[in-house]
Amino acid sequence: MKYEVYRKVYRTMKLATFLLMAALVQASATGYSQQVTLKGKNLSVTDIFREIEQQTGYVFLYNSKDIRETGRVHVHVSDLPLNDALARCLAAFPLTYRIIDSEQTILVKRKGNTSTVPPEEPIPVSQTLVRGTVTDTTGLPLPGVAVQLKGTNQGTATDMEGRYVLENLPEGAILVFSLMGYKTVETPVNNRQEVNLVLHEDLARLDEVVVVGYGTVQKSDLTGSVGTVDEEALQERPAATIQQSMAGRIAGVNVSQNSGRPGGQAMIRIRGNSSITGTNDPLYVVDGIILNVANLANGTSPIDYLEPANIKSIEVLKDASATAIYGARGANGVILVTTKRGSRSGGMVTYDGYLTVGRLARKVDLLNAQEFLRVEEIAYQNAGKYGLGAVTPDPKAKRTDPRLFDADGNPLYDTDWQEEGFQTAFSHNHQLTFSGGDANNSYAVNLGYRNEDGILLTSSLERYSGRLVVDTRVNNWMTAGGSINYSNQHESHPQAVGTGGISPTRSVLQALPITPVRYPDGSFAKTLDYPGMEGGDHPVRLVHETSRLLEGTNMLGSAYANFKLAEGLELRTTGGVNIIQQQVKSKAGRDLQFISDNGQAAISDERYTSWQFENYLTYRTSFTGNDSFTGLLGASWQRVSRFGSSVTAEDFLDDYFGYNNMGVAANPRPPVSDASAYSMNSYFARINYSIQQKYLFTLTGRMDGSSRFGAANRYAFFPSVAAGWRLTEERFMQAIAPVADIKLRSSYGVTGNSEIPNYSMVTGLGSYSYIFNNQRITGIGVARMANPNLKWERNNQFDLGIEVGLFKGRVLLEADLYQRKSNGMLLNAPVPTTSGYASVVQNVGSMKNTGVELALHTLNINQAEFSWNTSFNISTNRNKVLHLTGGQDIVQGTNPVTGLRIIREGEPVNSFYGFIQRGTWGTAQADEAARYNRLPGDIRYEDINNDGAINEQDRVIIGNGEPDWYGSLINSISYKNFELTLDLQFMYGNDVSFDTRGTSLDRVGITNVLSDVLNAWTPENQNTSIPEIRPVSAYLDRQSSSERIYDGSFLRGRNLLLSYDLPSAWIGRIGGRQFRIYASIQNFFLISSYPGYDPEVSSSGGNFSQGLDLYSYPKARTFQLGLSFGL
Amino acid sequence: MIIYPKDMNSVKTYIRGVFYGLFGMLAAGCEDFLSEKDPSNFNRDNYFTQPSHAEAVVTAVYESLYPMHARQSWLITELRTGMLGSTSSADGGFPNFALVRTLKMSADHPSVEAIWESHYRGIGNANMAIQEIPGIQMDETAKNRLLGETHFLRAYYYYNLVRLFGPVPLITSPVDLGSADLYPSQAGPDEIYQLIVDDLKQAETSGLPFTSTSGRVTLGAVKALLADVYLTMAGYPLQLGTAYYQLARDKAKEVIDQGAYSLFDSYDAFRDPSVDNTGEYIFMVQFHETEQPSDALQYGLTPFKMGISRYASEQGFSYAERQFVESYDSDDIRARERVFFYKEYTAELDRTQPVLFNQYYTYKFFDEQAHLETARSGLNWQVIRYGDVLLDFAEASNELSGPDEDAYEAINQIRRRAGIPELSGLSQTEFREAIWRERHHELYYEGKVWFDMVRTRKAFDFVNGTFNDYVGHPFVTGETLSERELLFPIPTAEIRNNPNLIQNKGY
Repeated sequence: MKYEVYRKVYRTMKLATFLLMAALVQASATGYSQQVTLKGKNLSVTDIFREIEQQTGYVFLYNSKDIRETGRVHVHVSDLPLNDALARCLAAFPLTYRIIDSEQTILVKRKGNTSTVPPEEPIPVSQTLVRGTVTDTTGLPLPGVAVQLKGTNQGTATDMEGRYVLENLPEGAILVFSLMGYKTVETPVNNRQEVNLVLHEDLARLDEVVVVGYGTVQKSDLTGSVGTVDEEALQERPAATIQQSMAGRIAGVNVSQNSGRPGGQAMIRIRGNSSITGTNDPLYVVDGIILNVANLANGTSPIDYLEPANIKSIEVLKDASATAIYGARGANGVILVTTKRGSRSGGMVTYDGYLTVGRLARKVDLLNAQEFLRVEEIAYQNAGKYGLGAVTPDPKAKRTDPRLFDADGNPLYDTDWQEEGFQTAFSHNHQLTFSGGDANNSYAVNLGYRNEDGILLTSSLERYSGRLVVDTRVNNWMTAGGSINYSNQHESHPQAVGTGGISPTRSVLQALPITPVRYPDGSFAKTLDYPGMEGGDHPVRLVHETSRLLEGTNMLGSAYANFKLAEGLELRTTGGVNIIQQQVKSKAGRDLQFISDNGQAAISDERYTSWQFENYLTYRTSFTGNDSFTGLLGASWQRVSRFGSSVTAEDFLDDYFGYNNMGVAANPRPPVSDASAYSMNSYFARINYSIQQKYLFTLTGRMDGSSRFGAANRYAFFPSVAAGWRLTEERFMQAIAPVADIKLRSSYGVTGNSEIPNYSMVTGLGSYSYIFNNQRITGIGVARMANPNLKWERNNQFDLGIEVGLFKGRVLLEADLYQRKSNGMLLNAPVPTTSGYASVVQNVGSMKNTGVELALHTLNINQAEFSWNTSFNISTNRNKVLHLTGGQDIVQGTNPVTGLRIIREGEPVNSFYGFIQRGTWGTAQADEAARYNRLPGDIRYEDINNDGAINEQDRVIIGNGEPDWYGSLINSISYKNFELTLDLQFMYGNDVSFDTRGTSLDRVGITNVLSDVLNAWTPENQNTSIPEIRPVSAYLDRQSSSERIYDGSFLRGRNLLLSYDLPSAWIGRIGGRQFRIYASIQNFFLISSYPGYDPEVSSSGGNFSQGLDLYSYPKARTFQLGLSFGL
Repeated sequence: MIIYPKDMNSVKTYIRGVFYGLFGMLAAGCEDFLSEKDPSNFNRDNYFTQPSHAEAVVTAVYESLYPMHARQSWLITELRTGMLGSTSSADGGFPNFALVRTLKMSADHPSVEAIWESHYRGIGNANMAIQEIPGIQMDETAKNRLLGETHFLRAYYYYNLVRLFGPVPLITSPVDLGSADLYPSQAGPDEIYQLIVDDLKQAETSGLPFTSTSGRVTLGAVKALLADVYLTMAGYPLQLGTAYYQLARDKAKEVIDQGAYSLFDSYDAFRDPSVDNTGEYIFMVQFHETEQPSDALQYGLTPFKMGISRYASEQGFSYAERQFVESYDSDDIRARERVFFYKEYTAELDRTQPVLFNQYYTYKFFDEQAHLETARSGLNWQVIRYGDVLLDFAEASNELSGPDEDAYEAINQIRRRAGIPELSGLSQTEFREAIWRERHHELYYEGKVWFDMVRTRKAFDFVNGTFNDYVGHPFVTGETLSERELLFPIPTAEIRNNPNLIQNKGY
């Protein structure tokens, strides 16, 4: 397990030693002697290199393939010069070497290797010297790049600043620059004195090291399905949250940005939904620390507090082979986050910052002032038809207020509330990092400040973050380290999540176009200034007279120690603590329609304390015949506790005080507090066995125990088995030239889900109250039905994958086919309320997810100054409920107006459920309409069973929020120092339930409504789904039906980014390492037939809320300018 | 080769420590480590050990009186009498009352769900109380009273359920996941009435005080409710007839003869929180200005958004049909402006400015202080008042033997307060209809008239002053009552979740 070691170091693992030691050279090159003393038995080549490097400061440069299987020797060398010592030590090895004194480097090659040229071959000399700097695409200097004269053994390597000098060049010399993990570049010198170069990362990352749970593994040896988002990809899309960073990067991982609010509100589904009541969110693990806390206030999750700038890479574990090591919590996939560690190559300072400007990307069509008044008049004219003629006042009679109407009753204002309620949002973000260290110690300090405004008035997010990380090699057998992440976040969310009440986004749609924001005297216009109007006040008044602030502090600390117990045997001890404190403060002024009569304020506090303690042993060994074995055995303890409290006060004399002085309220409400905790105890093991690097096997098992289950079902075992076959290692494949690598892999395993409420196995009592003698008295009564037989939800997952690399890695294809079956689905299932309870957590049945994922990376053009690569991924997931206990449907949601969802055997889980609307009743169908107690002009729902009543039996499945297909297409083109990234996102076949339509069409004449109402039924316009305009007191009949279900397929221009790296020569002159500027447009176009703001939406969060759009917070189109530099 | 540390002993000690710690925890601590107790809530296994626990569980039984009133769910019955119209536009959280008034409501209506769910929760708590309280060591007198209150409340909840929904599941003991009662079938109304009578009889002998201002159940409330239950049992749907009129009359007479209650002199008392639990009131749902305000009642009384009240949410749930108001005797004090009804008020922003309404809104329970100043009302909601008992008594007496002196006195007490002529010399039929008319006029907006209509199967023709058969009776707004309107629908969700239930006809 090597979380603490740089992934980048791993990527260039075969040069790792060099890198570490080069740092040492930098630090104290003069402190080394040229004499070598070396004694030992059974030393490997690397042991010898390490010792010599430590003693001399010289660095060995070699390809690890060359030193593989070179055996071991006994060595006894005392005080010999370097050259002699080397000769003695390496005599028994099939190696040649060359010492380059000027660079303090020793190049080592295998004897007989065709690329190896015998040392000291005479070279014709003409040009004397060339120098230059090698950087990566981000402008960071690349140390350790081998710079070789083509066709010779003459060469050098770049130093820590990426600089090299090569002397004694022949005529027509061609330089070859190579570095593991990067594409090799050849360039003729052409008499240049300086050759600077940018190395592009090699797409064929077969030597890449992938972080898996409790360890790392070479990508080529992986038997599971694991997706990676690396540092460069993260850098392409500067974002506020990790979800934004990884969206669209990995096949099978559906990241939905469901809200435009600052900080976003994303839903991540890995290979679909597996659970109904349990969570479908993946498990997040940051540097080995599991983020246990879930469901924070306002829909946030602890991962939202991790500053993306600190993230080195993200790995997503998708199949059971990969996730089973997390057993009971692996069912929804696991997201492993590896953070940046300190530098091992001297001090560095980097700064990243950007500015953004966001604008509402799309408007919905609403009535203007004239239309609004006309609709009100039509309603009045139709009142008689509904028996309301006598009781409905003529609206024209009330248009007398001189503030709103002229003498003829014409409106003075025509306010566009989408203009008034939304703003141009300015944001900026700054991240400053200092890092440093040497071969044995490293540290990094990050300071961050983020200030984001939302496009909704007063919505904002401000975050201060700090991070300190230290790693140290205590001695030869122990390394240790730790990190502390701290963040303090202030959010203003005038829009509460998941409410249909009077929210600013609702008010934007419903505020009256005939009222202004303010009257000339400066006072806010009120909705009731025009009598008979319903609904809240206009959005500007709302956000000024209410507030909702979320303040959160998150501390994530971890420490580890690694002990090398014997050759190949390591013990790792880790401990982690995550403390989250959140406070939500809200207030509302006096006299706000539907919100507060006398003023209200509330403060709620929540504190989560989560700790984790894990110990595990890892043993790695190799056998003759190229077989290797890695074993892992460990144990884990975790506990999460929560404490919450809240106070509310009502009846303020003045709006001034709010939550800042609740004591002045006349009516403090009873305080509330509650506490709960759960604990887990787990044991896990894994065996990786590789035969000749051809046949790969992985066995994983984890036993989890959780306090959430009754004693009988407390522990469960989650095993998995996987195998891989690297076809290209077979002799018969090696003749096929363009094929670089083919691997087949397959896995089967079991994972679980235990995310249910605590204490579900006992009958819980809850508190009640009643007034006796004019005092509130507390009672205790039924609250939670017990289910002592509650068990884990188990997911059985099968995966078949193929990885193909073609044309030296220029085409990489990865495809997976999977099926996972959830058994014992946990559901907070409704029970008949005659029991006194509404629901009980049960294991209710099984369902299946089947899917295909395909990812394709191609390097279309690969030249030194021009390259173009493409990433495409597409995924599909089909869900089907196989079995429900008792067989009967389970309907979720209780309010048919705002929407129902159904779980039915044979259908996708939680489909939208409702009536089918067949337009409106026509005058020719008056008799038929009467059978249903309806009039021509009323909504016509289909009577499925034709029993003469529209009732539950007529509800059917009307849609599903999950897409058939989704994916991304990302193109990057770099030319010289410019890079252009075009990032497209698509989704196909997902339905959106535009629930906003219910209340935004019905409240005709009492609020503003969608302009669709202009197409309402009239005797002349009968072919419409919009019922006749009538006073609202007639009756409202709109229920969740097919009428509000829309195809939510879309194509989005997610990001268009242009960046420019200043030439390193310029930067070098001012002492810098890199300097990059970029500009981007996010969400730069959206193609969709959906009439709402955005079809990628979930207004409530929670399971199966994808595609529910009820007054959602629209997404912005964001323009960004950024800058990063390193010194 | 292994690179040995210089100090092997310390490493070994550490490693040994880690291993012992690891496997020590493995061997010893797992079960303890995984035992988490809920620190915030009791569970059934560790509760019901002290007298205070008995009191607390009974308090929980009372709480289910609230939901029916919190969002004015009870209005669904009143809106089926024809007396009320609705200007409410509300949906979502607030019930869509226009659908009820126009007789278009379906089983999806949120009010039926709110009533059903809260009543059965009350019954669930009552069943738990009845099962657990006997085992608690405590003062026997106090124990019996608590059980008496519980039996009363369970009877009251079932009485509402059987009248609203007809055959409903009869649950009399706590339900858990293994109970046969988890998915119950419906019991016949006769069985349910039997439980109601048994419960009330038990409450009658539990040592409750005859009156109390505490808000708790009293013996007076038990007897008054029993009288009303008997009267209903005499009529539809059980039609048990004479014997039950006799029981109803006798039980009502017990209340009258006790002399503990009397009518208020003025209707102002109905609007005055300070006289709650006294005088005419026998049983009330207890509200408190801040702890448990009855604001929904208040803003439901206002017209829709006319700017007359300190309440921001002027809901206009209902108004009185003009023809109904005009059916009052022209001298009737109750029909005067600002007694039971009002047609104008003052503007919130300028109290000198009159605001005229198009309809008669309900003033009967209009808490003036709340509307003018506080936007907070603590006005209790009456469940049983002395006026009901007088009318029950008069009706039951008349059904037994025609109007006698006591029966005339009972109804005339009510008429005298209304300032209308006393009745005398009527035939049994005339007296019967006079009682029914009086019930409409007196009990308007109390959620009682629809129950009378169903038990008598008669409906009041406001214009002619006569009575029609319930089925086929047209409202003044044109809708016609059908057999379907004799019951309310069992909520959709309940039908979905319990395959053993049969929906009421027509829904």
